[in-house]
Formats: sequence, C-alpha cells, structure tokens
Amino acid sequence: MSAHAKGTGSIDDEDVTAPGVQPGRAGALGFRARLAGIGLWDLVQMECLARSRVVVLVTGEGGIGYLYFDNGQVVHAVTAEQIGEPAALEILGWTNGSFQPCDRPWPEVATIATSHEALILQVAKRRDESSNLVAFPARSAPADESLEEIEMFEIEEEGVPKMRTPNERELPSAPPAARVESSGGDFSVMLRLGAHGEILSNSGGSEELAETAAYVRRLTELAGELLGIDGFSAFECTFKESRCFVFVESNGDTVLLRPRSETNVQALRERLGLL
Amino acid sequence: MAESVRTSLATLKDVAGIMGSFVCLPDGRLVSREIPAVFDDGVLEEAGSRFVRFREAFAVGDDDLEVGVIRFRDHRIYMKVVGTGMLLILAEGDVNMPALRMAANLVGRRIAPAVALAEAEPPPARGAPASAPPVRSRPAEAPPGMRRFRGRAV
Repeated sequence: MSAHAKGTGSIDDEDVTAPGVQPGRAGALGFRARLAGIGLWDLVQMECLARSRVVVLVTGEGGIGYLYFDNGQVVHAVTAEQIGEPAALEILGWTNGSFQPCDRPWPEVATIATSHEALILQVAKRRDESSNLVAFPARSAPADESLEEIEMFEIEEEGVPKMRTPNERELPSAPPAARVESSGGDFSVMLRLGAHGEILSNSGGSEELAETAAYVRRLTELAGELLGIDGFSAFECTFKESRCFVFVESNGDTVLLRPRSETNVQALRERLGLL
Repeated sequence: MAESVRTSLATLKDVAGIMGSFVCLPDGRLVSREIPAVFDDGVLEEAGSRFVRFREAFAVGDDDLEVGVIRFRDHRIYMKVVGTGMLLILAEGDVNMPALRMAANLVGRRIAPAVALAEAEPPPARGAPASAPPVRSRPAEAPPGMRRFRGRAV
C-alpha cells in the first residue's frame, strides 16, 4: 500500500471515482509524503490517532473506496457496491494499493458506529478464517494426533535447515494439511520450547535465541509477580533492525516468532492481545 | 531532576488506562516514578532490574531492544528504552495502544537528558528514596536484582 500524506499541492494520481464524485484535492498545510510498503491498517490507525476529519480515497485490488475519518474513528465508508460498515470491511480487506486524501461530500449522518480497532479485528478474523491452516512450530505428537496440533496462526513454514540440539526430540513431519506450498515464509525464525525450556522444534533460530526466549519469559513472569499482575501471555519486542514475538500456549509451551521485515503482523498482534 | 522526570511521567496518565510509570537505569536504580504508592521503590527496582536483564538477554544476540509490549491477563507493561535507561509503563489491558505509544515517545524524548544525567551520578546511599518516600522500607539485604522473592530463589 502506498500512501500520500495530507498536505499541499495537488494529488498526482488521477482520482478515478464513482460517477458524481468530485476529484480529490488536499489543500491543507502540512507535509507531503510518499510511503511504500505500509499496511492499510497502519494508515487507518494513524489517521484515527491524529483525530483527523478527512476523506481518504483508497485504491486497492478490489477497486476504489472512500474512508471518512472524524474524531479518531472511521465514521463512513463507500465502495462501488457497498456503503457503511460493509464497505469499510471490504476496503480494510485490501492488501495492496494507495491511500490519499481527497475532497468528498460528507454524509448527513455517520453510517459506522464500530470503532476502527473493531473493524480491523473483524477483517483480521476474516483473513484468518479464510487463510490456509499452516503448521508451525508443531509440538511433538503422534502422527494421527498431529492435526490437532496445527497452529491456527497465519504462519508459513520456513525452509531453513533445523538446528538440532542434544536434547531436542525427533519431530514428526508436519501433517500434509499443514504444509505450505510457498517456499518463502512470513517468519525467519520459529521456535517452540517446552515448559522446561527444551527445544521442541526450531526453524531458523539459534540455541542462544532459545535460551534467551526461555530466560526472558521467566524474567517477565517474575517481574509481573512483583508488580502483582499475573497471566503473562505474550510480548512483542521491537529491536533496531527487527522484531520478535514470544507467547505462551495453553500447554505451557513457549513460542518465539521472528517475522520478516515485510510481514504484516497485525493479525498476530490481534490474536496475542498486543494490538 | 527526579521531580522534572516525574512531571513528565505524570503526563502519561492523560491516556486512559495508564496506571503509572517509572524509569530505571541499567544498574536497576530508580530514576523517578509516577505510580501508586502501593508499589514501593524496592518493588519497582526489583521489577526494573528484571526488565533491564530482559534487554540485556536480547542484546547478547545483537538484538538491540527499543520497545517492548508485554501482555498479561488484565494488564500490559510497555517498555521503552531511553538512552541507557528504561521507561516502564503499567497499563490496563484495554489501554489505547496507539495513544500509549505516542505518549511514551514524547515522554521518552523529554526525559532522555535527565536519564543520562542520572546515570552519570554516583548511586545514592542505600535506602535513599528516588522520589516519593517508600511505603515500606526495602530490606537492606535485598539489592536490585535480589536473588530471593517470597522465600523462593529466583
């Protein structure tokens, strides 16, 4: 998704809108920017955070649509065939395109009462439900039970050779239903540790990273205990050049994921309660 | 200096759901705090020293931590590295994260010089409060990064 920030000057791209729609022009003062590789959800959140009153033309794989922002929320949306919340959900489901402010008449009443976070959550859920089930990091299990171990995350298995450690258990191959057809994955490292820190499966990670994951999980639990807060479930770390997620599963396993820089992690954040 | 940092920390509470915050140094020392008195200085130092080690653990693998978000059942802890120190924000689980991030960024910038100054200063004598007087005194034998907690080795 490329974005044109609000600002001076005219919009370069042709405003191909539905009949009767005025071509967009942004005349307000401010910076003008061209950004590439930004997720639409991030742009929506930026507009909401800025509490802008602005109409944005979104051009995506599904066509064109308009999002109306006011006072930190998406209050109205229009696509070629839909209006209101269904239109917003349709637009937020697009993954590639452009995003630029434009001039449009405002509706007399808001057609969307749902918060932008809830809209994004709905789209994330839809994506998850429609995505392929992909396994990783599958916990050691008999082959006939392994389907139950499929992680419902939108994770693609990486073709990196496994690191083996002396205490690592032999893992069964991933079930056919869980295999990923594409060769590239969303995560460069996927690591699963047992409740006692043993490496259950690993793709792309080092033994040192496994030790780090085990240690920081323990530190986090202890710090939470000191502060009187319990129920540690996940954390996200943003580093200078990368990020990683660590979360605890119901069986006590610790999973570490290091997404690639281009991976959209919104759905994962949402699932982990980190959004 | 701690008071000026504390004033900045207080602005974080403009974001609904932020319960409080504190700043600690790499050696675990508390620079300042703006968090309910139920958390005494000793507890914050001990928790802070663990977050410092959290950062150091990743640094071993050349992962230079900038920001961390930790999710607990009903709460979140937001960590932001400020110079060599760390800003730690305790928030409710449903806090507005974009607002929290922005507020933390602003506060981080504002307090960075004071954090750098604080680290240059020699550690205060044991028991000296960083800002508000502690609710209960910290046991003399429990330095930051204590080895025992509630009778257990940690």
